[in-house]
Amino acid sequence: MTTESQAQPARSTNSEPSVPSDRALAGWEIVSLGSSALIAEWILSAAAGRTRLIVAIPLAFAFVLVITSHVLRKESLRDLGFRFDNSLRAAKLLMLPMIVIAVLCIGLGLIFGTRPDLLRWHPERPIAGQLALGFAWGFVQQYVLQSFVNRRAQIVWQKGVRSVVLTAFVFSFLHFPNPWLMLVTFIGGLVWAFVYQRAPNLFALAISHSLMTWVIVSTLPMSALNHLRIGFKYFA
Amino acid sequence: MDNKSRARLIHLLISKSMAEALVITAVAVGFYFATTNPNLRGVLDQADNTSITGWAVDEASPSARVEVQLFIDDTFAGDSTANQYRPDVHQAKRAPDDWHGFAFPTPQLSSGDHQARVYAVHTNGGGSRRTLQLIGKPYRFRIGQ
Repeated sequence: MTTESQAQPARSTNSEPSVPSDRALAGWEIVSLGSSALIAEWILSAAAGRTRLIVAIPLAFAFVLVITSHVLRKESLRDLGFRFDNSLRAAKLLMLPMIVIAVLCIGLGLIFGTRPDLLRWHPERPIAGQLALGFAWGFVQQYVLQSFVNRRAQIVWQKGVRSVVLTAFVFSFLHFPNPWLMLVTFIGGLVWAFVYQRAPNLFALAISHSLMTWVIVSTLPMSALNHLRIGFKYFA
Repeated sequence: MDNKSRARLIHLLISKSMAEALVITAVAVGFYFATTNPNLRGVLDQADNTSITGWAVDEASPSARVEVQLFIDDTFAGDSTANQYRPDVHQAKRAPDDWHGFAFPTPQLSSGDHQARVYAVHTNGGGSRRTLQLIGKPYRFRIGQ
């Protein structure tokens, strides 16, 4: 990995304007990405009515930022986690926490009187389509969360607990104000950020993301999850 | 990361913030005009223990009759359509015909001071939203013992 984790002091000369340090810039990038998501979730989705396309504008801005930042920081696809050579290591790291979380979800669901039902989420849709869509959505989220947020968090606070917690916090905060979803995304964010820092593999994380989403919606009460609604739509 | 790339990234972040601010502004202005009808005119003329009357016209669609709702002391008290005979509104050139008045019978109220508000109902968002717009000013009135 070629993460630039060393903080660089701001340079300032008489002829050159001062520029923020790499740490400050990385923090700014995370905040900017978060602001795009919050604008989409809280402002545009509320004002959009039936014209849902408008929600894509800040998300498009965010993707322009993410991709341009990769290019300017000279991050290769391999650096970002588009690789298969570490799949086994990533799978091994993910296996135990996934099993523990799945068992916890089943237990919690049973305590709240909900029996596990793997077809509960969208019973009218073909299962293969749901799995493909779940994987694609999980991949996009993990790409942004790990390849961008986690890597920038490592520039801010280096590899370790603080950058893992920051990544999980950002992931959880973007699911505000859904309390159950914030809790499970924080726990999931901790696991995935930890695994990514040791075995950056977006494909393994995307599979894990889609499977855990499936487990959560199949086990926890829908009334608690509020149909996974976030942002302004949580109150709809 | 070299200084040139850093400067480009900073420019991108600033540009993105400005673009998002513009989008939010455009959405706010658009949302205001979608949920508000700037062409609504009207007055709440009178309120007493028998009736609450006034008139309302949508100047963008003057031949249409405006739906109005009455609130007394912030509580919904009835709805109606501004289609009552009001020749004075027509004579004042505020409406193209004589039929833009509204009149609500005053409901049973306790004695003392009360406040009446009449709102025009504005449908928008392809019928998915109905917003209320105050007609004229709130009218304070007293119900005797």
